[in-house]
Amino acid sequence: MITFKTLHILNKPPDHRRYRLCLSAIGPEDGLLLTENGVLAVTQLSGIAAERCFALAPDLEARGLSSHISRDQTVSFDDMVDLTASAENVVSW
Amino acid sequence: MSTLIIIDQPPYGSWEGREALDMAFSLAAFDQPVSLLFCDAGVNWLRKGQDAAKLPQKSIERNLAAAPIFGVEALLADSNACDQYGLAKADLLDHTSITDFGPELIDCFNHVAFAG
Amino acid sequence: MTDIPMPERNNEGFLESAERWTPRVAEVIANEDGIDLSENHWEIIEFLRFFYKEHEVSPPSNRLFVKAVKERFGEEKGNSIYLMQLFPGTPAKTACRIAGLPRPTNCL
Repeated sequence: MITFKTLHILNKPPDHRRYRLCLSAIGPEDGLLLTENGVLAVTQLSGIAAERCFALAPDLEARGLSSHISRDQTVSFDDMVDLTASAENVVSW
Repeated sequence: MSTLIIIDQPPYGSWEGREALDMAFSLAAFDQPVSLLFCDAGVNWLRKGQDAAKLPQKSIERNLAAAPIFGVEALLADSNACDQYGLAKADLLDHTSITDFGPELIDCFNHVAFAG
Repeated sequence: MTDIPMPERNNEGFLESAERWTPRVAEVIANEDGIDLSENHWEIIEFLRFFYKEHEVSPPSNRLFVKAVKERFGEEKGNSIYLMQLFPGTPAKTACRIAGLPRPTNCL
């Protein structure tokens, strides 16, 4: 897994103001991790490279969205901890 | 390890902001560098002259004024939000600095977390 | 000593309303904890009364109580040993109870 300058953790659905703010703040060396209602983005997210975008598996499964995103991009709670710990900065939107 | 806590919700309407304030105070209690940024409707937290006596809540202005005493490093107000809500420097709580919320500011902190 | 009408208190002995506090009330509460109030106690109690009037909140934890005292009186008094000697137990709780303030929210 590559490490990121800033990991953006997004738990807001696509119609939330902070969702749009977050997407506009993602820099070229940054990663995006979707959690909680943020995983609803997998139905419509585009323009962010697959290797920089992840979604939390339990939240995807709870919402029946697992098939909307590649398996490589789904992460467990343990993966989430690794991602967070390896990033230089973390922003929780 | 520095933390920026961002409050973008107006005062008094909900509890998320107060929880965030509590989080900032707790970080400060353990001498962890922490600053608070108010943006969007959140800048109204910083408005002078609040009188919550007739609400079943304590005055946010007075609670917030304790932040520097507890060791919160900075109270920051987003300049766009100040413009939007008609807040000039003189209208803001003492110790507040006006700044621009953007990538440069985010880069100054290891952790950035929104309230609620 | 206890022949004064005591204001309403909660199950941990904190006053229900900070406005009902008087110095006599402080003496009675301190007595329950076996504390004889000295000038050093009163200095902290008056500081806490002032702090509450200013900020409408008790210092939320013991660490923040110590910090606030340090900010006001300096290192010599703003340290946990000094405050523990004056207000045994959890100093923030004991001191707030005697000063008639609400229970610090983050003290166990």
